[in-house]
Amino acid sequence: MKQFNKLYFQLALLAAVFILLAILINNLTINLSRAGLEFSFSWLYRPASFALAEHPLPYSPSDSYAWALFMGWLNSLKVIIVSLFLATCIGVFMGLARTSNNTILNFTSAIYITIIRQTPLLLQLMFWYFVAFLGLRDNTFTPLKGILSISNQGIELLGLNLSSEFSALLFGLSVFAGAYIAEVVRGGILSVSTGQWEAFRSLGLPESSGLYKIIIPQALPAIIPGLTSQYLNLAKNSTLAIAVGYSDIYAVNDTVINQTGRAVESFIILLVSFLILNLIITNGMEIINRMTLNTNKYQ
Amino acid sequence: MPNKIIKSGLKLLENNIRDLFSNLLSLILRLCIISAIGLTFFYIFQWLAITANWKVVSSNVPLFAFGSFPSDQRWRPSLWIISLLFLSIFTLIGPNRKWLRRILPFAWISTIPIGIYLLSGGLGLLPVASRDWGGLSLTILLTGCSFLLSLPLGILLALGRQSKLLVIKHLSSLYIDSMRAVPLIAVLFFGQLLIPLFLPLGVEVDRVWRAVLAFTLFVSAYISEDIRGGLQAIPNTQIEAAETLGLNQFQITFFVLIPQALRIALPALANQAIGLFQNTSLMAILGLVELLGVGRSLLANPEFIGRYIEVYIWLASVYWLFCTFMAILARHIEQRMAIDKPNLVP
Amino acid sequence: MDHIAVRTKKLSKSYTQGLYALDDISIQVDHGKVLVVMGPSGSGKSTLIRTFNGLEPFDEGEVNVLGIQIDSTYDERKIRKIRKRVGMVFQQFNLFPHLSILENITLAPIQVQKRRPIEAEEHAMHLLSQMGIATHSSKYPSQLSGGEQQRVAIARALALKPELLLFDEPTSALDPERVNEVLDVMRRLAKQGMTMVVVTHEVAFAKEVADQVLFMDAGKVIETSTPDLFFSNAQHERSRRFLNQIEKK
Repeated sequence: MKQFNKLYFQLALLAAVFILLAILINNLTINLSRAGLEFSFSWLYRPASFALAEHPLPYSPSDSYAWALFMGWLNSLKVIIVSLFLATCIGVFMGLARTSNNTILNFTSAIYITIIRQTPLLLQLMFWYFVAFLGLRDNTFTPLKGILSISNQGIELLGLNLSSEFSALLFGLSVFAGAYIAEVVRGGILSVSTGQWEAFRSLGLPESSGLYKIIIPQALPAIIPGLTSQYLNLAKNSTLAIAVGYSDIYAVNDTVINQTGRAVESFIILLVSFLILNLIITNGMEIINRMTLNTNKYQ
Repeated sequence: MPNKIIKSGLKLLENNIRDLFSNLLSLILRLCIISAIGLTFFYIFQWLAITANWKVVSSNVPLFAFGSFPSDQRWRPSLWIISLLFLSIFTLIGPNRKWLRRILPFAWISTIPIGIYLLSGGLGLLPVASRDWGGLSLTILLTGCSFLLSLPLGILLALGRQSKLLVIKHLSSLYIDSMRAVPLIAVLFFGQLLIPLFLPLGVEVDRVWRAVLAFTLFVSAYISEDIRGGLQAIPNTQIEAAETLGLNQFQITFFVLIPQALRIALPALANQAIGLFQNTSLMAILGLVELLGVGRSLLANPEFIGRYIEVYIWLASVYWLFCTFMAILARHIEQRMAIDKPNLVP
Repeated sequence: MDHIAVRTKKLSKSYTQGLYALDDISIQVDHGKVLVVMGPSGSGKSTLIRTFNGLEPFDEGEVNVLGIQIDSTYDERKIRKIRKRVGMVFQQFNLFPHLSILENITLAPIQVQKRRPIEAEEHAMHLLSQMGIATHSSKYPSQLSGGEQQRVAIARALALKPELLLFDEPTSALDPERVNEVLDVMRRLAKQGMTMVVVTHEVAFAKEVADQVLFMDAGKVIETSTPDLFFSNAQHERSRRFLNQIEKK
């Protein structure tokens, strides 16, 4: 009797969810047809007729909307991958600094973490773009002649040109994610029992080699899951590119919606492209995870 | 024999000199770093005090606080913010009477409807349309409303994901996982542009409430995972003890599981609230004039053009102050719970 | 039939194939009597008493508690009925850490038995003063010692006015000097005629209070006898070895 009740209850719930969805979709089709925008994806093949400042592959305004969206997706991928790398470097360094006995390093890292974590990312991105890059006006910094020069046009590194929009987003995202990664690294190192520190010290190992040979290998299993979720956050946060005028997938989507009014279809495209980005990151981290587990045979 | 003494004496001297040099080197290095930090602070201070032009902030404080709220009605949001401030101070250092402590959560919850009433008016107060809400008061309203609505939804989703009923379990998981895979700005965009499309003709929801709805949908997925973590941390023996006493499933959930899960999840929930407070700034690029939105609109004003650094530093300080204050408040509450109950797992 | 509080018939439970947690157990406890269950760890004694209130499902046989019969099909309604009339005290106390002592005790009377809060609180205070810990009523479990927590747990079980009390190693998690304050409470309950099934290693307590001693090993009942006979002249080699080990401690 009771089993039947549970079954009926679940079926009723499922039916209720479907009915709700049906009502919403019905409303949607009515609203869309009133606006003359029946659900379809055929507009994707029409020429986009807007320019993109950055495109990793050849693109011109006469190319299709689909191609423009793909350029946006590639731009997202580009900034995410470079930021992942930079953020990891910053985060590991700051995380180690936060656990070190050196007062100055520890203090600097603590200040960095509190400032970055307690202010909105959007504000930080605007700061990087409008103050750090556009604020240079006509000045050009060349710390290393012929190798690195920084101006309001962006960064030139060994002939590689990074636009100011890309650079601002890159630094903003990396510095922001770095603060969170630093906390993950710190948590991982603190999760290794103090007995392990005492053990390698009593064996006469110096601090640095004890840290790299004894502590970090044991901290890695605790660090990697936190790192994965920070990487996913970074990917999601990269959509704030629109605030600094970098044409990532969200910004291109926004332009497309403004031009075509195809909000629903574009939204679906946005979700799918994010799904793919997420899959790439989680699978990549899964491979790294397996590699570290393989090197840690003691588990 | 004397040779030996001289040798060992020399060795001692050598050691001392080497120590002296390495000490000297590290001393010099340390002095360099400290003076570099000192110099940085000096320049920052010099810029803050002399070079910077704070007129953009000082002449616009009411705008930062209330947006374009009618100037003769500004006492309403002021009253609300001040009472919130008093309540927080009372929570931090107020007397530790048991009945006072019991009503504190209800006092906190009631600040939200009171805030909505003070902002929107009606019932004796002059009505103010939501497009005139703005600044810090809108930021706090967005945060408070969204979090208050997310909490029960998050608890339900967490329980749903733990449920033995497969339909409920999979529906909850689907919702939580897909919400967590999507960037917040996409959800907010959905709230602003797409929600009106899903509503029947003639039904309209104000854009502030659409934003609250979108934030709630987003944050509740994250909150539910924190609460699920809390639920999983409760030892199974607690459920056994409750079953032995004859409590039914609902009673066990309500009296034994949820209160303990909330306590365990408290630090994570506080982080969600702080994150939400910061993330309300995204509404600045989606058409609401909250704290960051005020800054943006001021920077577009020809009178203050180019005053980026002043505005951004000012906004960062306000955000930093509020977030740090929230963190302190949360740690305080957590610690007081810990005084009553040092270990949750007996 | 009326005088029987607990009876099991051919009760069996296996964890994996061929490995029995309970192996063909048939026992009987009369109303007003105290049964002490002894045995080495892993012998299935906790599993046995946990089947009495449905915390542990089993594979074969049947259990009759206070006239309610349960078998291997897990009938929630019957088990709820049993739990309303049977109290249990755990090794790890299992108090609710987020509730005060008084709230721990009154939760079930108010929510399950729908008694008036004032009445439930009066009853709880009465029980606490019997246990000698009435002054702690507004404290939280973690502020109490183990012995005090276990007495609260007994009061919590008694608050439902149970007809049968199950004790699962109630003194094993306590400091040695705290053991007697809990055993004293249990002795008094036995004197008042409470039906009890107690899993314990306390020989002195068993000698004094038990009407019947049950010795288990590897899921089987090795022997059942009176405490006098069991502790002076145990019939089985395994029982004697076990008693020797306990005395050495």
